[in-house]
Amino acid sequence: MTETILRIRNLKTYFFTRRGIVKAVDGIDFDLLKSECLCLVGESGCGKTVTALSIIGLIDSPPGRIVDGEIYYDSLNLLECPPDQLRHLRGKEIAMVFQDAQSALNPVFTVGDQIAEQVKLHLGMNQRQAKEKTLSLLKEVGIPSPEKATDYYPHQLSGGMRQRAMIAMSLSCDPQILIADEPTTAVDVTVKAQILDIFSQLKNARQMSFLFITHELGIVPQIGDRILVMYGGRVAETATVTELLNNPKHPYTASLIKCLPDIAQTRDRLESIPGTVPSLIDPPRGCLFHPRCDQAMAICQKEAPPPFTVAEGHTVFCHLYSLPKR
Amino acid sequence: MTDQLKNIKNIARKVGSAKKPIFITVIVLLGITFLLDIFVVDRIFDILVYLYIALGALFVLYGIPSLYASRRLMLYYWQRASKNKLAVGGLAFILFLILLAIIGPLFTADPTAVNFEEKNVPPLGFALEESVYDLKTGQFITHQTTGTGEHPLGTDDKGRDLMAMIISGASVSLQVGLFATGIAIALGTLIGVSAAYLGGKVDNVLMRFTDIMMTFPFFLLLVFIVFIFGPNLALIVVIIGLTGWTGTARLIRSESLSLRTREFVMASKALGASDGRIVLSHLIPNVISLIIVIATLSIPGVILAEAALSFIGLGDPNVASWGMILRAGQQNLDTTWWVAVAPGVMLFFTVLAFNFLGDGLRDAFDPRSNV
Amino acid sequence: MKKTWLRDYIIKRLLLAIFIAWAVLTITFVLVRVGPTSPADKYLANLTVRGQDTAQVVAAIEARYGLDRPIYEQYASYIVNLGRGDWGWSLSTSMPVMELIKTHWIYSFQLIFLSSIFAAIIGILIGIYSAVRQYSKTDYAATFFSFIGISIPNFWLGVMLILLFAVKFGLFKTYYDTGLPLLSLANLKQLILPVITLGTGMLAGYTRYTRSAMLDNLRKEFVRTARAKGLPERTVIGKHVFRNAILPLITIIMFDLGSIVFGGAYLTEIVFGIPGLGQISFNAIFADDYAVVVAVTVISAFLVLMINLATDITYTYLDPRIRYD
Repeated sequence: MTETILRIRNLKTYFFTRRGIVKAVDGIDFDLLKSECLCLVGESGCGKTVTALSIIGLIDSPPGRIVDGEIYYDSLNLLECPPDQLRHLRGKEIAMVFQDAQSALNPVFTVGDQIAEQVKLHLGMNQRQAKEKTLSLLKEVGIPSPEKATDYYPHQLSGGMRQRAMIAMSLSCDPQILIADEPTTAVDVTVKAQILDIFSQLKNARQMSFLFITHELGIVPQIGDRILVMYGGRVAETATVTELLNNPKHPYTASLIKCLPDIAQTRDRLESIPGTVPSLIDPPRGCLFHPRCDQAMAICQKEAPPPFTVAEGHTVFCHLYSLPKR
Repeated sequence: MTDQLKNIKNIARKVGSAKKPIFITVIVLLGITFLLDIFVVDRIFDILVYLYIALGALFVLYGIPSLYASRRLMLYYWQRASKNKLAVGGLAFILFLILLAIIGPLFTADPTAVNFEEKNVPPLGFALEESVYDLKTGQFITHQTTGTGEHPLGTDDKGRDLMAMIISGASVSLQVGLFATGIAIALGTLIGVSAAYLGGKVDNVLMRFTDIMMTFPFFLLLVFIVFIFGPNLALIVVIIGLTGWTGTARLIRSESLSLRTREFVMASKALGASDGRIVLSHLIPNVISLIIVIATLSIPGVILAEAALSFIGLGDPNVASWGMILRAGQQNLDTTWWVAVAPGVMLFFTVLAFNFLGDGLRDAFDPRSNV
Repeated sequence: MKKTWLRDYIIKRLLLAIFIAWAVLTITFVLVRVGPTSPADKYLANLTVRGQDTAQVVAAIEARYGLDRPIYEQYASYIVNLGRGDWGWSLSTSMPVMELIKTHWIYSFQLIFLSSIFAAIIGILIGIYSAVRQYSKTDYAATFFSFIGISIPNFWLGVMLILLFAVKFGLFKTYYDTGLPLLSLANLKQLILPVITLGTGMLAGYTRYTRSAMLDNLRKEFVRTARAKGLPERTVIGKHVFRNAILPLITIIMFDLGSIVFGGAYLTEIVFGIPGLGQISFNAIFADDYAVVVAVTVISAFLVLMINLATDITYTYLDPRIRYD
């Protein structure tokens, strides 16, 4: 039985704005096991990034605030940690890779400097050791001629190289958990494939857990072990990749899968889910998906669906499966 | 009901197309009156009046219809700008100052009236002790003068009423601000837009020229030229305008450059519009909001430049500007100190008002800032 | 790889600077000659001519100063002389202009230098604090005071400071004492009011620019990355954000130096009676001493030119995104 490295219970992160309270994450639970890759999937605005930022404690404090929940890293509740302790974990034990490497990297420092900065801080390395570590990291992510690349500035690298450099930076202190926030979204198709390759390699080579955030269901099978589908700040369904793709229970998940264009099939129109993501300020009562759901029932408007275990490791939040009332 | 509206619109359209002839008629009439003035009759109008009438005609015939045509946009900008209380305060002060300059002289004493009986009177509520030689006793006695309501701001060492001088100074500063800024902005915009739009060699030459002019520190160049050509107010206004355009040119040029590559300009070109038409109808309206902001923020610099010139003694000796009053005050700092305080306070608040207004306008016009 | 293009850029920029220097000299020359009165006439107006044939005196002066030679000869010798260091003769102080400048430049320098340091250090620190603690009371206070600082006419501020601290409270003298050695504490004390006068406007400006540059960069993505790396906040702000903010800041500060500071220094010297280049140029104006006025104008333009050159090169060197290959 693999250990759980991250345990999240009832996480609620709200943003208190002038126009109202945005319930970006409204009570989610999940576990991240050691050496597994959990994919967090959902449309834009469903709370994936906010979840990730909540874990490492980078929610902008006005206007955002984690109002409830527990995040256990090993036996430590991250939400009750003093900020300094959390800061020491950040980058060292839990690292994060962002979407757009061009804007996420500091344009006035070389790539090598930015990577070395971290090892010097967290691991206390000196200049020479840091340089060696940087070179080996760059090689690990597949950047050709790392000795030259270290002295490049971010704008001098191509998109794919930049992304790799950012990944190298996140790996520098050998973190236990790597959170990747849509790392393939801002790149073109060929680079996308390369990045996914790197992630696969890293997963096999290191004993690291991945939290992979994306809105593209299609790339999940390439690296994911389990999937968590989010909608409107809540969990819709969670299962292993094969189980979910073959046996989706939640209407939303099913629609998402149907939307994936299949190269083998000939179809006239692309499928889409009608309607739009709900506003998270004052969300509707009950199940957030019911306005767009083609199997909505009366109860869906009144109550939020409880979790229902379909099979081992497969949970769904939908009234279609909740126990019928007497 | 709609018939009446239609009639009005028709009339407006006819007037609209008659703009050019009307304007030309007005200018010609003014020109004739002006020539009569010089050669035949003696001084019907002050030269400034001609200028104001011409500007007024320009504004009424061209400005007001443009404003009316874009009234929804104007309303939108006004709503945004009015949320900034400091900007509104600034505008209020400026309007008050204009009012003061126009109506004030009717209520106050003559600023040039020298009256040695009343010299060195402090403002209302203050007292001044002086050692005065008493002819009767042949000794120095301390003589105290207290301020009265007759001269609420006191008098200077020649007995001139300070409040009257301040009010006449307001008129000077405002007009200097208006005309000098007008010249500087017009010149800067012309150069900036031409450089940006015509590009290539023209751009190079114009920008080199701008670089060269920018190398001279503004105030020192001003002083130098006034030294050479003599301190005459009209000349000073023109010189300030001719030396202060460089910043505007740079800013307008960079904005125009970014506009030039936008699709709507290329579309215009594709439709066969001439260069002049593109500049006039497309580029300039888009930089107008920038021009307004630059103008509002340039006025304080201009006013201070003229005040500084007068302060150091290079101003027009026949004109009572705030700088000159300040100079008089500085020379008698130990006795008539109020003469140094008042003009400075007015300058300060005027500059502050324009800065607040300009800042507020800039935020209102910038779509990215949230007011 | 970096070095060659930087060297080429410097050379290109230097050539441009030389061209601008030449243009400055030429424009100054033209302006003087275009003026309504000739230098000889002006000198004549100040000279008591008793029983002398005015025309003869004018001719003698013109011959002495070469004003009767054709314009292009005058121009050529003007340029050559300036290059050789012969900047003419100051009629009002009876010494070579070069001498005059050599003895007086130090007073201007100490004023501008101290004011700049004062304004830059305090301004930048307040600007950074203001940006990091945006919307706090300190931020509002700082913004408010910087508005006031840039709106106060600096010559009036000088007069008011003298009124308050020298006349009313008697803490300082009302005139500048040149007898004090430059590096003494007493000299520093008498420079306090002038430095405050000149420095306030600069300080207000620097606070605003720093604050806005920092705010612009605080919003950027790389700040979040830096925090995600676990860097302490002071490193995030002090190293990552500041290093980006300083680029536009350098340009603005240097540009200010060129356009506003020299004018401000000129006025400050006059108000406080500090015998720097501004003061002697001013005295020369009222004595119709052309040579001095021209010299000071040209010097100030050259200084601005050099500062701009230094700024351009520094900026190009510091910003890795600029490459000219």
